[in-house]
Amino acid sequence: MITIEGHYYDGRWPIAVPATMEFTGQDALLTANLTSGRYAVDTLKVSPRIGKTDRFIALPSGGQFQCADHAFLESLPQASPSEGPVAWLEERWGVALAGVAIVACMLLAGYFFGLPAAAERIAARIPIETEQTLGKQALAWLDEQGWFTPTNLDKNTQKGIQDGFDRLRSELPLKNHYQLEFRAAGAIGANAFALPGGTIVITDDMVKAAESPDEVQAVLAHEIGHVELRHTLRSVLQNSVTAVVVATVTADAASLSVAVAGLPVLVAQTKYSREFEAAADAFAFRLLKQKGHSPAAFASLMERLAKQHEQEERAFAYVSSHPVTAERVKRARAAAKE
Amino acid sequence: MAVCSCGYDASRPFKVDPQEAKESPGPIETFLLRNKEMPGQQRELALKFRGSASEYFRIWIVNLCLTLLTLGIFSAWAKVRKKRYFYSHTTLDGTPFQYLGQPVPILKGRVIAAAAFLVYYASNHFFTSLLPYVFGAGAVLAPWVIVRSAAFNARYSAFRNMTFHFDGGYADALKEIYVWGLIPFFVLGTMFNWWGKYAVAAVLVIVFSFAFPWWIKRLKNFLIGHTSYGGRNGAFSATGGQFFKVYFISGLIMAAFLISTGLLAAMLLAFTKKSQLIALLALVPIYAGYVLAFAYVQAHSSNVVWNHTRLGPLRFQSTLLGRGMAKLYVTNALSIIASLGLLIPWAVMRTLKYRADNLRVLQEGELAEFQGSDLLAVEAIGAETVDFFDVDLSL
Repeated sequence: MITIEGHYYDGRWPIAVPATMEFTGQDALLTANLTSGRYAVDTLKVSPRIGKTDRFIALPSGGQFQCADHAFLESLPQASPSEGPVAWLEERWGVALAGVAIVACMLLAGYFFGLPAAAERIAARIPIETEQTLGKQALAWLDEQGWFTPTNLDKNTQKGIQDGFDRLRSELPLKNHYQLEFRAAGAIGANAFALPGGTIVITDDMVKAAESPDEVQAVLAHEIGHVELRHTLRSVLQNSVTAVVVATVTADAASLSVAVAGLPVLVAQTKYSREFEAAADAFAFRLLKQKGHSPAAFASLMERLAKQHEQEERAFAYVSSHPVTAERVKRARAAAKE
Repeated sequence: MAVCSCGYDASRPFKVDPQEAKESPGPIETFLLRNKEMPGQQRELALKFRGSASEYFRIWIVNLCLTLLTLGIFSAWAKVRKKRYFYSHTTLDGTPFQYLGQPVPILKGRVIAAAAFLVYYASNHFFTSLLPYVFGAGAVLAPWVIVRSAAFNARYSAFRNMTFHFDGGYADALKEIYVWGLIPFFVLGTMFNWWGKYAVAAVLVIVFSFAFPWWIKRLKNFLIGHTSYGGRNGAFSATGGQFFKVYFISGLIMAAFLISTGLLAAMLLAFTKKSQLIALLALVPIYAGYVLAFAYVQAHSSNVVWNHTRLGPLRFQSTLLGRGMAKLYVTNALSIIASLGLLIPWAVMRTLKYRADNLRVLQEGELAEFQGSDLLAVEAIGAETVDFFDVDLSL
């Protein structure tokens, strides 16, 4: 016979009554204050074990008996049997340390290899046509909001750039999906964008900043790299998975510390972005050489643009979406020499 | 709204009459008769949080590991385990709270939430023309989400073998949330792009900021007034002005930091040309001001809510401080970052302990004013039936 001390709650009043339960074979006898009740053991339900806290035994009468955790309780019917193995795991430091190792390996392997590889494969299976509406909407929005205004470049300049662009894309797998757009963009300055679906926008300032046609082609080749390598879709996939995983890991901390959840997402996502930029650069250098241009033009243009806003670099290297200019220039020069 | 029928009435001491109650007195009745409390007496029910960081660390890592290994499916079980830990390590008058939630309804809730998020994400990134309709649907569904999660949380929270209840309906929630037509106005504005007109937007932002404390008050009043325990509904007596004061002071804190940082930066700029560096350094005090203002709102709005809530014979005294919360946030964030996340469980435990240490529960009257009666039996049947709408939407 096993006797367990505890408290009884009848479910009608929140009053704790000192009580005992005696277990004899298939029989349980509850004695609360002056009254008692007899129950068959298999009609009881014991609450799951968690930490070292008290357990609750639900009685068929609707009453409840609370007592300290006791090894004997494991032999009674459990209210939530699936939690038993979890509780077993939670009690062991060895399991916890293994858990730390497994979580760390999964996060690092997923972040550095698994996720980029998976995103690349998935992107390869989704046709680029699916992105086209999005690209058109994005351009229309930028036009509507006044970020872009019609280009001021003369027809000849436009034609020269367009012809060079057509030569660059002529042998690429996605060659039929490209569209080159010229725009004046005061606030944005010298820049070029690859919108989803193969639309490439180059600003008038960028064309003016270039001192030779080769420099313009170098910029376009970089944007072609983004399209050809499906960077839009891949970054959407990688960034959303990163955000969800970080949210899962830091779920407990999110409500406690404002900064904790946002920072790792920012650092993780900008690393991917820098990798995409570097990949687009490498793609552009190959394409330029193949078409008889020198990647050195890319280096000279980057250096000139960097001079316009010099100080910003370096300090922000780890949260910057683009690689540091000096590195890009160095790689472009190295590619030109090969 | 039958909200305030439940404040403690000292003129009506609870009586237990064995003849009247049942044919044979149960154990509680006889216990009550022998241990009768003096009416009108006030006593404090000790509220304690006894969670331990090392114990919770193991629970956290095991559940996180299983969640990642199952690609998120286990997260519903993880939530149940963690909530069980928090509840069962919080004791009131020596008795731990009980979390009775089951993983499957939580999993259903998460699937629904994930689907809703995907719809939002897709319309935000790919089908922007659908976005206004998605916002519209969200606005229609929001009251339902609030009501369902409040009902789920109440129904699966128990103390001394009696569960809480939430009896607010969709219509009530709709009325409370959209009462001044402010939010529908905002939704419509987003739908039809009224924000282009800056003057309209500015006026709306100002109106909304000033109305916000009163809106929060109505929402809290709705949630507390419809939550009951043992047949007693909560009663909420805070005014919008009290919330306004909290937000106003936090606004002043933020403004003080912004202005003094701005003045300091302007002075420094007169001596040096490193404007980038100064801009970067200025972020530090501005962020500090933000954390302090945020902590102030968290602490004091929590105080306003608890200090004006009554539940049957119980009232509450919350003494959180903005300083204390800010210190907690900052030390938590620094330790979590320095430990690469391993101190998250420790941070959770100390935050819950800090909150429990600053909340007192005072009893003015008898606990036997709460009566579970036959509701429990009805509830048991309800819980057995597979109810699709029994979903937990509070993530």
